[in-house]
Amino acid sequence: MKFAFFPGCTMAYRLPFAEKSIRMVAPHFDIELVDLAFTCCPEPNTVRALSDDTWITFAARNIALAEAEGLDILTACAGCHESLSLAKHELDKKPERKNKVNELLKGLGLEYRGTSKIVHMHQQLFDEIGIETISSKVVKPVPIKVVTHTGCHLLRPERILHVDSAEVPVKLDMLCEAIGMVPLDYMDKTMCCGAGVRKTNSVTSYAVLREKMTSIAMVEPDAIVVFCPTCFITFESGQRVANRIFGTDFKFPVFYYTELLAIAMNLPGMDILLAEHRVKIELPASAETKEERKTGAKDSIPSSP
Amino acid sequence: MPERRIGVFLCHCGSNIAGVVDLEVLRQAVENLPDVEVVSDYKYVCSKPGQKILKDSIKKHKLNGIVIASCSPRMHEPTFRQALREIGLNPFLLEIANIREHVSWIHADDPKAATEKAIDLVRMAIARARLLEPLEETEVTIKKATLIVGAGIAGISAALDLANAGFNVYLVEKEPSIGGKMSRWDKTFPTLDCSSCILTPRMAEVGNHENITLLTMAEVEEVEGYVGNFKVKIRQNPRYVDIEKCTSCGDCSDICPVDIPAEFDAFLTYRKAIYIPFAQAVPSAYVLDMDNCLGVEAVKCGKCEDKCEAKAISYDDKEKIIEVEVGTIIVSTGFDLFEASKKEEYGYGHFPNVVNLGEIERMLSSAGPTRGHVVKPSNLKEPKKIVYVQCVGSRDELSNKYCSRVCCMTAIKQARMIRDKTGATIYVFYIDLRTFGKGYEEFYESTAAAGVTFIRGRVGEILQNDETMSLTVRGEDTLLGKPIQLDDVDLVVLSTGVVAADATNKIAHALNLSISPDGFLLEAHPKLRPVDSFNDGIFVAGMAQGPKDIPDTVAQAKAAASGAMALMGKGKINVEPYYSVVDEDRCAGCQVCISVCPYNAVALNERGYAEVNPALCKGCGTCTSTCASGAISSQHYTDGQISAMIQEYLSTREGA
Amino acid sequence: MGEDFQRNQLKELKETALPCFQCGVCSSSCPVFRVSPELNPRLSVDSIISRGKVPSEGNEWLCAYCLMCDQRCPMGVSLAEILMVIKNISAREGKAPPDVIESAESLMADGCQSPISSRSEKQREDMGLPKLPRANPADVQMLFRATGAAEVVELNRKAVEEASE
Repeated sequence: MKFAFFPGCTMAYRLPFAEKSIRMVAPHFDIELVDLAFTCCPEPNTVRALSDDTWITFAARNIALAEAEGLDILTACAGCHESLSLAKHELDKKPERKNKVNELLKGLGLEYRGTSKIVHMHQQLFDEIGIETISSKVVKPVPIKVVTHTGCHLLRPERILHVDSAEVPVKLDMLCEAIGMVPLDYMDKTMCCGAGVRKTNSVTSYAVLREKMTSIAMVEPDAIVVFCPTCFITFESGQRVANRIFGTDFKFPVFYYTELLAIAMNLPGMDILLAEHRVKIELPASAETKEERKTGAKDSIPSSP
Repeated sequence: MPERRIGVFLCHCGSNIAGVVDLEVLRQAVENLPDVEVVSDYKYVCSKPGQKILKDSIKKHKLNGIVIASCSPRMHEPTFRQALREIGLNPFLLEIANIREHVSWIHADDPKAATEKAIDLVRMAIARARLLEPLEETEVTIKKATLIVGAGIAGISAALDLANAGFNVYLVEKEPSIGGKMSRWDKTFPTLDCSSCILTPRMAEVGNHENITLLTMAEVEEVEGYVGNFKVKIRQNPRYVDIEKCTSCGDCSDICPVDIPAEFDAFLTYRKAIYIPFAQAVPSAYVLDMDNCLGVEAVKCGKCEDKCEAKAISYDDKEKIIEVEVGTIIVSTGFDLFEASKKEEYGYGHFPNVVNLGEIERMLSSAGPTRGHVVKPSNLKEPKKIVYVQCVGSRDELSNKYCSRVCCMTAIKQARMIRDKTGATIYVFYIDLRTFGKGYEEFYESTAAAGVTFIRGRVGEILQNDETMSLTVRGEDTLLGKPIQLDDVDLVVLSTGVVAADATNKIAHALNLSISPDGFLLEAHPKLRPVDSFNDGIFVAGMAQGPKDIPDTVAQAKAAASGAMALMGKGKINVEPYYSVVDEDRCAGCQVCISVCPYNAVALNERGYAEVNPALCKGCGTCTSTCASGAISSQHYTDGQISAMIQEYLSTREGA
Repeated sequence: MGEDFQRNQLKELKETALPCFQCGVCSSSCPVFRVSPELNPRLSVDSIISRGKVPSEGNEWLCAYCLMCDQRCPMGVSLAEILMVIKNISAREGKAPPDVIESAESLMADGCQSPISSRSEKQREDMGLPKLPRANPADVQMLFRATGAAEVVELNRKAVEEASE
């Protein structure tokens, strides 16, 4: 399956190692990625908050680029996914808006038609490829306890996105289980990480993060697994800021799901990527195989942060 | 046919019609049409003087076709038909043009167009009136027996009223005992009198009444016929215990090795496979739940049969089909509680200490699973901090839009009882408190004074601390605009709303009853015919018609009983002659009409032609439109009449 | 510019907000309200329906657009979308937070919401990631101007400068 790949600004320029992990696993699941001259999705809380028309026009331009190539878009960031999906929903529902946007795109030699689907990596892995195929590729399970945070913009608006249940999401947990992790249930699982308000009021943003982190800390996971680069940064770097402001002591390793998938598939080069993480985790020895885990030959307990 | 002499009567309906439609223009447009003898108008044609004008005009002008332009025929067709009868004119020579609901009320913003539409409708009515034929109404006898479906407090009340008045009642209940939801409830609001203390004497009376045939574990399978003459097929599931022989000693249950979560106790405790739902059950007899029985052969178990001294248990009991004939039917199939797990953010079904109103009722009952103690299901300890969440499954576009009416008072009642018994800290989160009944507001105020805290605001989410099993409730005090987070909550009670019972849907299908968008049965008129269905002789009562408390339910039950009595007391009723008739000269005997008739009203006669049974025919017209040779016509709605109306409409528009 | 825009939007806002019966499930579910009660989606809507007034305190900028309110509203009111429109109105009054303006300026400059540094380009190269194709800056600026955002950004930039003077 060939996709127009939409890593999004945050992943591309602030979390390249996560992008790298997607590009590493993709060929193993018959995913071919094409890079196009996309702009920012654009981000709802900055661009859309200033001008709704600007937001929808830029989103339409991005989608139209993929349409011109006859490709569906594969997103990696929850925010981009939601922004593009919402714009698509609006354009497909309201012909007058579509026409207005197309008037502008005409000047760029583009047209939004509504022919390309917007698919997030989460959906491609869970809904299309499936748990069984993923498990079958695992050679080195990752037996750590994790909490998952699917991300607001993958879950809501549920009626438009249909990624997972907005109140009780389970799919990312199942994806984690498939590669040998133990997902833990925790309070505030569907709560926002706080990223959305960081640019307008950073103290509020970190207060929201503190609330979320407090609930996470209660179940003492080894790591947090996300499917969104913005949530990743909020958790990983944000926890230090929260600690500074509120005197808390959060120090959780954070992973973008495909990083762990690449580790479980034992793909080469992961060490370099993991070195970029600000909170390190000592993963179980790389020699361990699936068979060993099954027979319980090596009961590896990962170190807690 | 004698020469047609049509009178047209235009009703002002005060200013309802005259305020929009220009009646003078209307008059001028129709008075010179062929066959129109006279056009008159009056402020209220339905009034006594209005009817007199109608009658005098019929006499004076020797009219034999009447067109009345007024409100919907659903309102006054019976009134005008009666006027025609009184003056000696066949009542089916009347045609009503609805220029109120179809014209003035909906086109009030455009009087000119409204007047044009009214002219069209009246012209079309005149066209039809030219072809109307006098029809004879058949008189049918009404059987003096009533079928009541559902034996909760509504069915029980209606049954007793009818039986005491001397009518036979077949009371059908799908559960092993009568009593419905009220038998599971502990106390009633606002008086806090014991629910079963007031209900069980009525249940016993039903059980012993000579005019009541009680059929438990039974469901109505099929109903045929019409008002006064319903043929009902009832399917009764095997009980495996003879209710005449059973002494309810309980020996069978004592020896039964199976434990099953008990439905009656909201699954909070266990019962045996052979059991009695509750102590005061009527009929007072055990029932064997064969699905959960270990096996009746001696090898597997068979212990209860051995133990029963009265020889009441029979493993060979079979399902029975019972057929009865009744004149009237009352549907009182009650309600179900909203399935709270659908509101995922509240965690019902996931968090053990989140419960619903029904579960608390069983806990509060001294005969219930916890002997009257409200407990935390996670550890059976007494909760110190309790939160009620109102409007779960009510006033919510995502589940049910309507207000369930009873949950506010039920929650207040429960909170009051728990507060008085244990002194627990109780918070009630509400949107609006609806304390609409006699003494209800006073009860709420005294409950607040007793220390229960009421907070205005819908709860956003409930979280569980998996270690302590305690809960966190998040909300807003909307009167202060302040966030509220309650931690270490021991018990959350979701004030689950009510939804139409599955059984209601089933019976509606069997009886061809209409259902309103909320899923409850639709009454014939919300104000004036609140317990009548659209089908003559069939009444609705209680929660089956919509959410209501016990006093309203009993009031409706009594109203439905009196409606049934009024019909049966009279003993006879005229049936509208809207049935299909077959022209044997054109019938080919192909039997297609027989296959399409939804009421089994058509059969082949001894001459080999189709023949319609007027008593079964509902005049739906399916056979008429299916008949390839045009041999069937629907009386009062003939093809000729309908096409005359269409032609009349098109005649002023041809070429347009 | 703000007033006309506001008048046009208010009518539509009123219609979308009308089903609200102020139950408070939006605020109860709002993660920001819990820590900063100045943001109260219920009260923002209340201002529109009962006072016919778009709130002007700027509290809506605190919305994280997590859509929890949208998900749970029993009347199907999209609170987050209403707050978004209020932000649009507020921006046209020159009240957008400076960081938001900066992001928009960055998008206008190089198509990305935060400036692309040479360091991050280098990092991509080191990791063996492809150089991503960029949008034509002239195209980006054209769309920015044609859709009105350039004007809003300038207005707010001016407001920031005036405030700092």
